[in-house]
Amino acid sequence: MAHICGPEVVKYACHCGLLRSISQLYFCRHCSKVRCSFCVCHEVDSIFCGKCSENIPSAEARVKKNRCSNCLVCPSCQQELWPRVAATKTSANPDEPKQVVKKMHYLLCQFCRWSSRDVGIPDQSSVTGFPDRENVYANRLQEVLDAYKAVVLAQKQAKENEKKKQRKKYLSYTDITGVTAAALRKRIGLPADRTHPLLKNKPKKPDNAVAVEEVDDLPEELFTEPVNLLEVTSVDQRLLYPEAQPVKMDKLFPVHKQLSIKRSLRCRACEHNVSKPEYNPNSVKFKIPLFAYYHIPDIRIVTVEPLRAGQTSELIIKFTNPTQHQTVVSFLEIALDEPEEPEIKEVEETMDSLNIQEKQHASLPSMTSTSQPSSLLSLGSHRQPMITIKPRQIFQTLNSTVEIPTSTFILPPRDDAAEFDDSGDTHNIQDDPKLVKWRKSNKAFIRLSVTPQEGLELKTEIVCGFAMKHLYTNTIFTQQPQKYEHKVKVFLTLGNLVGSE
Amino acid sequence: MSRNNIKILPGALVCDESKLRGDITIGAGTIIHPCVNINAEAGPIIIGDSCLIEEQVSITHRLPFDQQEKENTPVMIIGSHNVFEVDCTVEAAKIGNSNVFEAKCYVGPRVTVSNGCTIGAGCRLTEEQILKENITVFGADCQMREAIDVPAKQTLQMDTLMKMLPNYHHIKKPNKKTDAFIKQI
Ligand SMILES: [Zn+2]
Ligand SMILES: [Zn+2]
Ligand SMILES: [Zn+2]
Ligand SMILES: [Zn+2]
Repeated sequence: MAHICGPEVVKYACHCGLLRSISQLYFCRHCSKVRCSFCVCHEVDSIFCGKCSENIPSAEARVKKNRCSNCLVCPSCQQELWPRVAATKTSANPDEPKQVVKKMHYLLCQFCRWSSRDVGIPDQSSVTGFPDRENVYANRLQEVLDAYKAVVLAQKQAKENEKKKQRKKYLSYTDITGVTAAALRKRIGLPADRTHPLLKNKPKKPDNAVAVEEVDDLPEELFTEPVNLLEVTSVDQRLLYPEAQPVKMDKLFPVHKQLSIKRSLRCRACEHNVSKPEYNPNSVKFKIPLFAYYHIPDIRIVTVEPLRAGQTSELIIKFTNPTQHQTVVSFLEIALDEPEEPEIKEVEETMDSLNIQEKQHASLPSMTSTSQPSSLLSLGSHRQPMITIKPRQIFQTLNSTVEIPTSTFILPPRDDAAEFDDSGDTHNIQDDPKLVKWRKSNKAFIRLSVTPQEGLELKTEIVCGFAMKHLYTNTIFTQQPQKYEHKVKVFLTLGNLVGSE
Repeated sequence: MSRNNIKILPGALVCDESKLRGDITIGAGTIIHPCVNINAEAGPIIIGDSCLIEEQVSITHRLPFDQQEKENTPVMIIGSHNVFEVDCTVEAAKIGNSNVFEAKCYVGPRVTVSNGCTIGAGCRLTEEQILKENITVFGADCQMREAIDVPAKQTLQMDTLMKMLPNYHHIKKPNKKTDAFIKQI
């Protein structure tokens, strides 16, 4: 979506003081606030392979080191490798003249034409049967890994023992009777000590790595032969396979494709989801798409007169209403010094009303609309206390002033059919002609006047800002849409200052 | 160079909507799609046998500025079995056999292409260089590697095009007999 909204000249202020373009923001309907990517929790929803579109459980993914076991990528250019069929004729019986055509496969990169034959991997009869390269240091790595696991376990055990000791303040049953746990276990025929199996047979401590003092000399030909860059691997190619880090091209080997994740985003203030993808890896849709682009009027710069220091220029911006509800937009003076009013109070009020409504809602399961996120209902009963998010100051210098219009304007709801309807606009909207230049369906072109500050140097980038107040219709609960005014600070980068005539 | 002198050998398929300017010889079995732009402004262009030249391709015989003063007119020679994919721009004066110019690539006039090379989609080769045999250029920063064999021939695709194209496009008639062409050489 970035290319639709780019270049990023219009930025909206998040509560936390960061400025983002509308395509990078989320809108939490429960707190009625814009949220940037730092104000939401990122959670891994599902893990999948981007090539074979298969979902992989997270435990399995961990075992496979987050790589797909079926798909391979090109070691030369990191694109996906595709199996190619190469029919080879082999006679099953040397006496018989009839030849059997056997299907063999090799891997080919369509992008850089690297093939598994390049490095001498024999053709395979099955598509998935390509061998993995043995890691020379696999044993050593496993040893070290086991040792670390044992350390972790020992630490855990120590912590638990500590807890037990603290509990010893109270008399235990065994203390009174004088029968220890070990003795009890012995009596009923169990081994006396009950330590973790991993702890009991301690893995042998890996040998310490030894630094070698004398290093072999570099090969002679390194100094005498000219470098053939076609034979040397690039840094990217080496780091793709960290275990071996091949130096020469002929040592490259196909690498298993790294898995991708789908993530869901949760508002940090109220713990509701603002984005949740569909589980199916083939789907690019969302179960919960609370993107700001769908809820907040989109502002784009249409034209701006040449900007001169101290002189007023006309600025025309376009407002688009993305929602299905009519909205009223008005402008307010931007106040950068005073941060926004603390959020928590306002949210608490809305949350209270939400809770009541949710309870009502839960009692009427048949009323659950499909757009209603299921997690919302389940969360209702055991919601944790909200986190107070302190509003922070916005660090953006404004070097021009916008004359704030006193009148407001209406944005009709979005109508997808209107795009194909040439009959003209039927809404009879009484506009302030000084403010609204032109309008069509859910869009309005607004005229503002901008005055860059006096005494700015030439080619200074001019930034202006205003607060936009728009009527937002919340439809979380279909029974009674709530309407309230939502405020957001908007910053426009208008371009560079030009000479004074 | 004002007059067009297009020689089409028998077996070649040249769509009428292609823009051919200057002295151009088109070998047998070569397919030229509509909206192909071949411009022989600096000297004749000879295209070999069984080349596939797709839509929006621009092949221009243009000399670098420092070579324009030379007296003898150089000839741009394109070998056989070359594939020019959609919207590539090729100005290289010497092209061998079995090369693939992928979509939207650019090959400048100072480049010499040998045999079996692949210039990847969107790659731009502008500096003076000789591409060795079976070189593949790929990626955003034109990495190079050596392939083990020549790119696969597009025989199946070309057979289909030979049958399909005449059904939907006007075709320029071959105007040279094969033996006449040989004599000329
Ligand atoms: Zn934020
Ligand atoms: Zn896969
Ligand atoms: Zn590759
Ligand atoms: Zn929220």
